[in-house]
Amino acid sequence: MKKIARIVFSMKFALVLLGILLAACLAGSVIPQGKDASYYLSEYSEQAGGAILALGLDDVFHCSWFVALAAVLCLNLTGCNIVHFPSLAVRSKNGFSPDRFRRSGHAKELFESSVPEELFQACGFHRLVRENSADGKDCIYGVKNRPGIWGAWFCHLGMLIVILGFGLGQMKQVSFAVYGVPGQTKPVEGTGYELTIDDFEVDLRPDDTVEQYTASITMRDTGTSESRSGQTSVNHPATLFGMRCYQNSTGWAAKVQVYKEDSLVQEEILCAGEQMDVEDKEGLTLVFAAFYPDYEEGEDGMPRTASSGLKNPAYLYRLYYRGEILGMNVLAANEAITVDAYTIIFTDPQNYTLIQIKRDPFTWLAAIGAVVVMAGLILAFYLRTEEVYAEQKDGNVWSVSGYSRKGGAEFTDLLVQKQKETEGGKSAG
Amino acid sequence: MSSGQFLNIENVLFTIAMIGYLAAMVLYWLFFVLKKDMVGKCADCFAAAAFLLHTGALVTRGIGAGRFPLSNQYEFATSFAWGICACYLVFLWKYKFRALGAFVTPVIFLVIGYAAMQSREVRELMPALRSHWLAIHVSSAIISYGAFGVSFAVSLMFLLRQKKEDSPFWQEHIPDERRLDLISYRAVSLGFLFLTFVMISGAIWAERAWGSYWSWDPKETWSLITWIIYAIYLHLRISRGWKGKSAALFAVIGFICVIFTYIGVNTLLPGIHSYA
Ligand code: HEM
Repeated sequence: MKKIARIVFSMKFALVLLGILLAACLAGSVIPQGKDASYYLSEYSEQAGGAILALGLDDVFHCSWFVALAAVLCLNLTGCNIVHFPSLAVRSKNGFSPDRFRRSGHAKELFESSVPEELFQACGFHRLVRENSADGKDCIYGVKNRPGIWGAWFCHLGMLIVILGFGLGQMKQVSFAVYGVPGQTKPVEGTGYELTIDDFEVDLRPDDTVEQYTASITMRDTGTSESRSGQTSVNHPATLFGMRCYQNSTGWAAKVQVYKEDSLVQEEILCAGEQMDVEDKEGLTLVFAAFYPDYEEGEDGMPRTASSGLKNPAYLYRLYYRGEILGMNVLAANEAITVDAYTIIFTDPQNYTLIQIKRDPFTWLAAIGAVVVMAGLILAFYLRTEEVYAEQKDGNVWSVSGYSRKGGAEFTDLLVQKQKETEGGKSAG
Repeated sequence: MSSGQFLNIENVLFTIAMIGYLAAMVLYWLFFVLKKDMVGKCADCFAAAAFLLHTGALVTRGIGAGRFPLSNQYEFATSFAWGICACYLVFLWKYKFRALGAFVTPVIFLVIGYAAMQSREVRELMPALRSHWLAIHVSSAIISYGAFGVSFAVSLMFLLRQKKEDSPFWQEHIPDERRLDLISYRAVSLGFLFLTFVMISGAIWAERAWGSYWSWDPKETWSLITWIIYAIYLHLRISRGWKGKSAALFAVIGFICVIFTYIGVNTLLPGIHSYA
């Protein structure tokens, strides 16, 4: 049991896991994700397609073995941190003393100095310990950046929190899309809230490119009738009732009116891409296929828009009767479709907005994890624990040594250089 | 001055900087062949001068475009080359290790050459790209990629040094393997720290712009791949016995991934970053 734990909590095992994670990421970025099974069977050879489906490579990041891999990595990280905690705690509490330094074999003379204290202070060691060693010699010891030894530990802890936060978020998050034009109120399916689009503006620059999309929205709790309003634009989501509301996308909508011999029988707002059944005439369906705000005929004869400004609106529609196509055409602003006694017209073209509503109750956890990872990395890389030690040889001559596990030769070179500066290079090097 | 004039100045500065990097590269190589310190010093001066001009080009670009110049392929490529040079100069100043220039300047030159091939037209940004977090995200990417560029060059030297062990020039001008390994480690640490921040700031931006802080988009996945490779590098260095050669190999592979994340993903794989 102990042996298994040692393997599972080891760094070698961590490297194996990271290797598998790497392979999964490679597969997930190269193989298109989330398509129908038929896609893989037709795009790849039958065996390759079959293998992709069997291994779950069509949706790598959500398949069961990937989730298991993440769980094992978490176990590995937790174990690694538990295993290392006691020794780190002991080192942190008692590991830094002149006696420890000598016993760890780090007291190897780098050079001799007559003013070690001055030298150590020049190197940034301000709190020095002066004591008599067991064999009666005077010694001076200093340590810097002690928290640095916790760097990797915090980095691992942070990673663990990030993975947990992300995983829980994946399980618990909810997402809804609501679209419409100003004035419309629509239910946010399954939440007990409804969303009213109070206003929607598209700010255009002089060259007709879009500066910003801004929607004013009100969310209402249908149970309590309590409501909250806010504004959402791209990069500035609104938070209403703890839900984030994103200005996600936009498109064109128009009012469609159906007349039967001069009397209005149906009126609806349709977004481009939507369809409606004419209620008065069973089987008659209108599809609002596309909208061109500044219509022109392209060189290839296909309809297109010359600019995004609303200058010459036109509507591409298709009309079906009991599934059979009756007609398809581009309709200018003042034109109408007539079928038997019915006249259909499109008016009031305007932008609709698509608001994405999301709630991920664990984003904060992943965010805390990210902060802990960053703190751990800074500790590990930029607060390198360093120790200096001087032992009196005879009279005014001290033997100086220094050690930094992370700083290596860089640290001892720095000591030598500072020694030259403080003593003008007169001591032995 | 009008924005057009600023962009004209940028054009001139950019071109001279590119020539400056080319000259520095040739001088560093000459330094390698002739083994004369004077040539090396000249190369340093050219690299530093080209860097200053390049900085000027970026500043005038920013003024001319009226925004942070980090929003399209050209702007990012030229900043990327700038980042590598900035990191190189810092490492040169800190470790007094000139021969590194012979390996870094070709990388700088290739990246700035790639930038020169991109369209320099200033276009207004779509709303999703107008974000402070995006600017922070891309700025940290420049430092991170720059540091990885340096570690790539140092690791290449490490691998070559093993083959040239008995050449006196290599012994005099190229630090020993332990030091090369340490310098590469310092560069990777800097790069890794910033890459982590690139991913975090990118996640914050993605959350604000699209509502999802991590969606396994190919560019995100590739930055994770790069990150994992460097994490493996860091652990390889710690576990004794694997230090040195295998770590150096991972640093080289890591930088190839950096380049792929930056260029390959945009052109070869689809995703939300593909307009960038
Ligand atoms: C996603 C996963 C991981 C990340 C991002 C990560 C990151 C790091 C970082 C940044 C360091 C510091 C390196 C340095 O100072 O040079 C480190 C050290 C270390 N890691 Fe990890 N690590 C991960 C997983 C693991 C796991 C699962 C283990 C456990 C078995 C592990 C074991 C270690 C050890 C033993 C050290 C050395 C600690 C020290 O120097 O005091 N790592 N890791």
